[in-house]
Amino acid sequence: MSETITMAHGAGGKQTSELIGGIFSKYFANPLLTADDAAVLPRPEGRIAMSTDGFIVSPSEFPGGNIGRLSVCGTVNDLSCMGARPLYLTCSFVIEEGFPIDELDHLACSMAETAKEVGVVLVAGDTKVAGKGQVDGVFITTAGVGVIDDDVNTGGALAKPGDAIIVTGDIGRHGCAILLARDEFKIKADVTSDDAPLWNNVKAVLDTTKDVHVIRDATRGGVGTVLYEIAGQSDVGIRIEQTDVPVDETVQGVCGMLGLNPLYLACEGRLVIMAPKDKAPAIVEALRGCQYSENAAIIGEVTAENKGRVVIHTEIGSETLLPLPGGELLPRIC
Amino acid sequence: MGNAVEKAAEIVRGYDGRPLRFMEVCGTHTHEIFRLGIRNMLPPNIRLISGPGCPVCVTPTGYIDEAVMLALEKGCTICTFGDLVRVPGSDLSLAEARAKGAKIVMVYSPLDSVEYAEEHPDEQVVWLAVGFETTTPATCVAVKKAKEKGLTNYSQLTANKFMDNAYLALKGSADAFLYPGHVSVVTGTSIYEHLRDDEGISGVVTGFTGPEVLTALAYCIRGCEKGEPFFKNCYPRVVTDEGSPSGRAIIAETLEPVDSEWRGLGVIPQSGYRLREEYAEFDARKKFSLPVIKGHPNPACRCGEVLQGKCTPEECPLFGKVCTPEHPVGACMVSGEGACSAFYKYKL
Repeated sequence: MSETITMAHGAGGKQTSELIGGIFSKYFANPLLTADDAAVLPRPEGRIAMSTDGFIVSPSEFPGGNIGRLSVCGTVNDLSCMGARPLYLTCSFVIEEGFPIDELDHLACSMAETAKEVGVVLVAGDTKVAGKGQVDGVFITTAGVGVIDDDVNTGGALAKPGDAIIVTGDIGRHGCAILLARDEFKIKADVTSDDAPLWNNVKAVLDTTKDVHVIRDATRGGVGTVLYEIAGQSDVGIRIEQTDVPVDETVQGVCGMLGLNPLYLACEGRLVIMAPKDKAPAIVEALRGCQYSENAAIIGEVTAENKGRVVIHTEIGSETLLPLPGGELLPRIC
Repeated sequence: MGNAVEKAAEIVRGYDGRPLRFMEVCGTHTHEIFRLGIRNMLPPNIRLISGPGCPVCVTPTGYIDEAVMLALEKGCTICTFGDLVRVPGSDLSLAEARAKGAKIVMVYSPLDSVEYAEEHPDEQVVWLAVGFETTTPATCVAVKKAKEKGLTNYSQLTANKFMDNAYLALKGSADAFLYPGHVSVVTGTSIYEHLRDDEGISGVVTGFTGPEVLTALAYCIRGCEKGEPFFKNCYPRVVTDEGSPSGRAIIAETLEPVDSEWRGLGVIPQSGYRLREEYAEFDARKKFSLPVIKGHPNPACRCGEVLQGKCTPEECPLFGKVCTPEHPVGACMVSGEGACSAFYKYKL
């Protein structure tokens, strides 16, 4: 097999077969993934959740992960947020001509390993090759189907005053890792992405209590954006204890240098959970027993006042508004 | 909170004497004071004024016009800190000039602009040199490097400023100043002793954490109660009496003081810099024979008065209506460290 992707790999002929046989079959093989035009799947019991997500991250390899792992985590986590057990995934690659084949092999391997962590199987896929410069390396789109137990009901509009707000770990590491990996700021710091598939964590929560109102993954825009979204959707206020928000020291340091707020840095393996206050300690305990959420913490509460707003109780005992997300990231100049 | 900080918070919260006005000079202080919610814990008779210490905010409209002219008419590549890109000029901001084909490169250090010029020998690269003592030494290192390397495609549009005479211009605007923490790392503290002893101007140097700002405010309150001019270095873990002689030396080597225009404050004698004669070949104004440009800011914008504490951002008719962080009219709404932007984003 040639060492880089050529237009022939996307033409549907011999090279396409080589690519599918050499890489995708090797990692993704399972009885539901066939050479036919569509996967034929048994009808699941219960309500079905379905989601799709595209991934164009640059660079495609970064400390703590890569675009392959990310593409599985993204859809798995979107399904998990609805309380849905992820069953099936599809994936679609758009690969730039000249992309190294061993890198593609590595990405596919990561995807398979990530899927295995949460027991989801890949049932269909597609590969296209785009001319040099038409895409940046590789773009991956995944879609997924999951199934929700009857007594589980989560959603962004369901937060209630008195709910505790939980994050499943320290925030902002993915955004920070990508920022550093791009090397535009010439800052050297040891930060790895938090990207992780979180179904096992959600399952642990739901095994503890079904009385969970909101689960949302804090991806683009970070935890701060999620909090504003929920405040708007549920028409409630949100109050956060600044000192209870877990932030890695190095991430905090990088943010300090660049004038960024970790609450607005992307995460790819962190959930924001809102549930009645009396259930929160058990939820946190369950989360702390799982990989990827050992540092889960209660960071605040949902309030009836300050509707639509996120108020921060600061480290010196005063209150201030969390500034709304938006605008360009402009580093401070002095 | 520790005991000392709790005591400071108590002094600040519990103050019920005559009305006091404190001016935080530095834009980073403005930002941190809002982020920490300190204004929300002040009693009504203490007012904080955001002073002219954000380099973007005090950059006059005419300077943006010069940069736009260099970019659009002289075909120069403009290297700049990101904050300046959206500051409105008389007609265009640099962002709008970019949409008309100007080449604007955002960098994170003045040295990056030299590197860019080296890598792009077919472009005339101009560095927008704004800022106080925190960024000025790096700008000086950049121009020295350019000279050493013999670059002929590099120049600077100098508008660096220093605060010494600005304090005199602001005398009476506030009962005490919160002096800038990082600038003082370079300047040292003798200037503040001089202001206290010879001008009767009071103030404290302070850091940027909640406890540090609270302690400084408590010190200002106690000082004002005593009624004598005072100065205290409340940031001794970082700021020393003598400051950074090497930082000041490189400034003196490459730059010389000139009268300088500050947005809102007008021309303050001997408050800005220009490149010395030995570096004239790197002076963009000379190199490209720029005419003297008098900027025309939006007449309804009250940034100038905001910078002197003569009005609050909310008293400006444009604030929050025409002028927002997404569509700024005045410089104080552009920079994250500007008073208008902070008011808009953090107001409870």
